[in-house]
Amino acid sequence: MVAGVLAYPVAWEVWTSLTDLSPQRGGPARFVGLRNYVELATNPVYRFWPAAAATLAFAGLTGVVKLALGLGLALLLQRPFRGRALVLLAVFLPWVYPSSVAVIGWYWTLNPPLVTSYSRLAADLKQAVDGAFGAGAWALASVGLFNVWRGAAFTGVFLLAGLQAVPADLFDYARLECPSPWRRFWFVTVPLLRPFLALAVFLSLTTGLADLANVWMLTGGRVVFPVLGTEAYWLGVQAGQLGPAAALSLMLVPPLALVLWALFRLVDPPEERPR
Amino acid sequence: MAQVVLKDLNKMYDDVHAVKDVNLNILDKEFVVLVGPSGCGKSTTLRMIAGLEEITSGEIQIGNRVVNDLPPKDRDIAMVFQNYALYPHMTVYDNMAFGLKMRKFPKAEIQKRVQDAAEILGIQELLKRKPRQLSGGQRQRVAVGRAIVRHPQVFLFDEPLSNLDAKLRVQMRVELKRLHDRLETTAIYVTHDQVEAMTLGDRVVVMKDGWIQQVGEPLELYGRPRNRFVAGFIGSPAMNFIETTVADGAGALWVECAGLRLRVPAERSARLAGKRRQAVVLGIRPEDLHPATAADHADLTCEAVVDVVEPLGSEILLDVKVGTCVIVVRVDPTVRLRQHDKIRLAFNPERIHFFDAKTEESLQ
Repeated sequence: MVAGVLAYPVAWEVWTSLTDLSPQRGGPARFVGLRNYVELATNPVYRFWPAAAATLAFAGLTGVVKLALGLGLALLLQRPFRGRALVLLAVFLPWVYPSSVAVIGWYWTLNPPLVTSYSRLAADLKQAVDGAFGAGAWALASVGLFNVWRGAAFTGVFLLAGLQAVPADLFDYARLECPSPWRRFWFVTVPLLRPFLALAVFLSLTTGLADLANVWMLTGGRVVFPVLGTEAYWLGVQAGQLGPAAALSLMLVPPLALVLWALFRLVDPPEERPR
Repeated sequence: MAQVVLKDLNKMYDDVHAVKDVNLNILDKEFVVLVGPSGCGKSTTLRMIAGLEEITSGEIQIGNRVVNDLPPKDRDIAMVFQNYALYPHMTVYDNMAFGLKMRKFPKAEIQKRVQDAAEILGIQELLKRKPRQLSGGQRQRVAVGRAIVRHPQVFLFDEPLSNLDAKLRVQMRVELKRLHDRLETTAIYVTHDQVEAMTLGDRVVVMKDGWIQQVGEPLELYGRPRNRFVAGFIGSPAMNFIETTVADGAGALWVECAGLRLRVPAERSARLAGKRRQAVVLGIRPEDLHPATAADHADLTCEAVVDVVEPLGSEILLDVKVGTCVIVVRVDPTVRLRQHDKIRLAFNPERIHFFDAKTEESLQ
């Protein structure tokens, strides 16, 4: 079952990335070795490096913001207060809300369909951002905003579960011994949450690096800044170059594997494994 | 010098009144044990002293200083938790040094204190290990060591032996007692185990439903319980209770129920005189009953049938039926009795307790 669900598609994609498979060219796919990878890295037509840079910036920035907001929300929700259940529900709502509906809501918020004073404000804002940071900045910011809106909610609830899995005694002891909340956070909370933080970072990075659907839907396909996901979609579906498209998608795998390995070491360092 | 004084201490959780008007004066260097069943308020009281729970009303003084509004870190106390609360990401050394590092003690001083504490507890060879590499007993020692290095005014122990097996618990109990004798620091210890309370405490505070039931030295609680709850809670096996009625006869007072009629010892008659034809509860500990001999006065004996025999080696516990009651008798291991044997049971007149049937207060 695993072979059918996971191994076969991956193997097919790896094989495709080593061929010149294209419905436009016709005929059987020919094995081309690593040519697709070399072409992507060296031929500026493919816009690989700008797309990689935009993807990393997008995933990195949204990752940091999601982690900061999520951690803040988790720490806030860990304390008992009146109405906590309602706040928790509100925090979790962006994650459980259907993505397609949320995207439309955000799209209309950022690009109002009716001419009102608000649409003027949105247009001014877009012009100001693009003017300051260059064309595509507003699009990148808006897509990032959506990613953070959804992702911070998930990170918050995930880290809250992590905090609640830590025995309360450990935090009580910190209250007895730590002279400041900051030291308590840094020397106790963060190390105790380390496995949860590592997983949250990984999940956040993967959703950032591989975010195609939301970017595509929010920008209506008019991608003014390329990310690897949209570039692969253009190459494969629009241009019919399935070989380079597969290669482009697979180029995400090594850095993600590296990040996963580093985070796994954080979760379970060798010196802490049971002897 | 660290006397701990609790004045009219109360704790409310919404509608639940967890600690009720607790007044307690714990002397410097004293080892006081708070004992009681789950939900009696003992841990809440300890946590209020530590500053981990807010006080609803009342006052807490540590070393002549009111600490109501002081955060836990400024109360100069060290606490040992039930689950040890050792940080899994730190070595034993770092766990023990944690409080001192947070307070920015000089490195050499930290090292000295940790080494000294490790030596006292015999855990020098464990200092480089992580908590997950330790046994329960070793973790418990590290948790105590972490408290020792702080040189606090007061030690607080929240059921620290509960997670240990029975044998280790006995061993650690002795070590804690020895440690207190050596360090001479005020200690407040919470447990639900009355044996721990009796063996460790200079004084024991028995709590129930948020109220203090009695404060006293262990043998005082055992010998002169103030009410039926304390009488039943302190002592193992627990005190036997028999519902009786006070009656007159032959110039003396008697207590009687189905299958039992005992003459009230003369020195107890005064308190029971006003209870004629009223219900009182007779309390007698298992060791204050024995198979009757010729030396025992007939007025202080009754018929009984052996129901269960529990040989424990050093003693035998007998469950015997007296009328409709079943009571426990502790006898010498040389006594040979079998189930269904009929015996005559004698009560030690000096050790009989009487409790008011309604208020449950002692009628001593």
